[in-house]
Formats: sequence, C-alpha cells, structure tokens
Amino acid sequence: MLAGDLSAFEGIVRRWQGPLVNLAYRFCRDRGRAEEMAQEVFLRAYRALERWREESAFSTWLFALAVNLYRSELRRIPPAPLSFEDVGEPRDDRPRDGGLEAADRDRAVRAMVHTLPPKYRDVMIVYYFHGMDVPAAARTLGVPEGTIKARLSRGREILRGKLPGLLAAPSAARIR
Amino acid sequence: MSDDPIDRILDGEEEILPSSGFGASVMEAVRREAYAPPPIPFPWKRAWPWLAAIAPTFAAASFLVVRQAGFGSGLEPQAPVVTAALESVHRTIVATYADWVALALLITLASIALSRRLARA
Repeated sequence: MLAGDLSAFEGIVRRWQGPLVNLAYRFCRDRGRAEEMAQEVFLRAYRALERWREESAFSTWLFALAVNLYRSELRRIPPAPLSFEDVGEPRDDRPRDGGLEAADRDRAVRAMVHTLPPKYRDVMIVYYFHGMDVPAAARTLGVPEGTIKARLSRGREILRGKLPGLLAAPSAARIR
Repeated sequence: MSDDPIDRILDGEEEILPSSGFGASVMEAVRREAYAPPPIPFPWKRAWPWLAAIAPTFAAASFLVVRQAGFGSGLEPQAPVVTAALESVHRTIVATYADWVALALLITLASIALSRRLARA
C-alpha cells in the first residue's frame, strides 16, 4: 500500500496541493494561513493513509479530512471578523442598481458568504468556491443531499435578504 | 446558464496558486514525520501488576471512608472478617507506599489520555 511510501505521497502532494490550498483559502481568506492549514491536511493524510478505505474515492476522503480540519481551525482561530454592514453597503450616493461597480459588488457578495452561519457558509464554500456538485458536497460534509440543497437555498436567501438591491430573486435557482 | 446572480458571482472567483516552495515544504514535514522515532509506548506489561495490586487499595479505602462516615455500620455484624482483612490490606498498602504508586500511575494514565486527545484534535 501507499502508507510509508514517500515518493508515492509526493505524487499525491503534487496532484492535490492546488485544490487543498484553494479550499483552505476559501475558508480563511488568508494565503499564508491557507498553506499552513493545507500542509496540516497533508500531514494528517500521511498519518491516516492506512485508514483510507478504497471503496470511497481518495479525493472524497481527502476533502472530508480537509474540511473537518479547516472548520475546526476556524473555530479555534476565527478569521478577521466581517459583518454584513462592513461588506454589503455601498458607501456613496449612487443608486444601487448599477451604481456599484460589478467587481465591487462581486467582492462584497463573496465576502458576505463568510459572514453566514457556519453550516450555510461551509456548504456555499464547497459548492460554489470549490465547484463540488451536491452529491460530492454531501459526501465531503457528511450530511444528506437534501440537507445540502436546503442549506444552499437558505444561504442564498440570507444573502439576498442582506443585499436586496444587488441580488434580485431569480426565476429558478440552479442545482448541479 | 443560471439566471441567479448569486450563482454567477460565486462561481466566478479566481483560483490561487500555492507558493513555489509549498510542495517541498510539505514533503519536508512529511519526511520529518516519517523518520521520527515512534512514540514510546506506555509500559503496560509493567503497569498491569501494579494496577492489579492497587485495586484492593481503592476497595479498602472506599470501605473505610464509608464506614467512618457512618454509612456502613450495618455491615459490621455481618462481615467482621472482611473488615479486618480490608484493614490489614490497607495497612500493608500504606506501609509500602503503594497508594502513592497508584496515584502516580493514575496521573500518568490521565496525562497520556489527555495528550492523545490533544494530538488528535
């Protein structure tokens, strides 16, 4: 098996360093801390490689390990606090519908995801920022697919409620 | 294409690249881990006889505490031999400092359990 085989593990690091650092960055918004957290995931994966059961995909196992660690790290040392008020409101007199530059609006909306309660924030991060579909998000977070859909829907609602002028309700929300 | 602006906005975030030395730094940490000597296992073989020996200490101590508190007075007429035996065991244990050994073992076990829990967290 792979356990103890350093050259094989080096291949794993090369293959997954980008996704793991990106996922960590989505959680903490700090590049240095993201790399520290991703390194810790690799170390834990190395220690626990023997416990990986091959009936689940390696990526699922690795991302579940990563998300658990990132969540507990954020509980231990929360990122710099953001509030809806900090990120959501335009600070000039221009009208909301088009006055705020698209890039500013997008940045504000993405930052707002981090102000959501953790159970919604985590689903939004793995689904949107990490590009997982609902079944993959469910396996990674260890909750049923229905719960993922419900949390996505509620997360979107909260965001829309906080920025009603910027995020009009759609005709139909997409679910991957 | 979704017509939900949230979908469009959140899907569009750019990727970041790990710094150039990240992979090497991870592998260095993994190698340190791989070549580190294994943790010293708790000496269960040596501890078990002591643990077995101190069990009567706790039994005797508990019995004496209960009796001194007055809760065990009903036992005396029925079990004077047991009382005498437990008191004898207690005296022996105190004389050989087995109670302190027991306390040291318990503290050791607790600290091992705590450090394992912290290492997993």
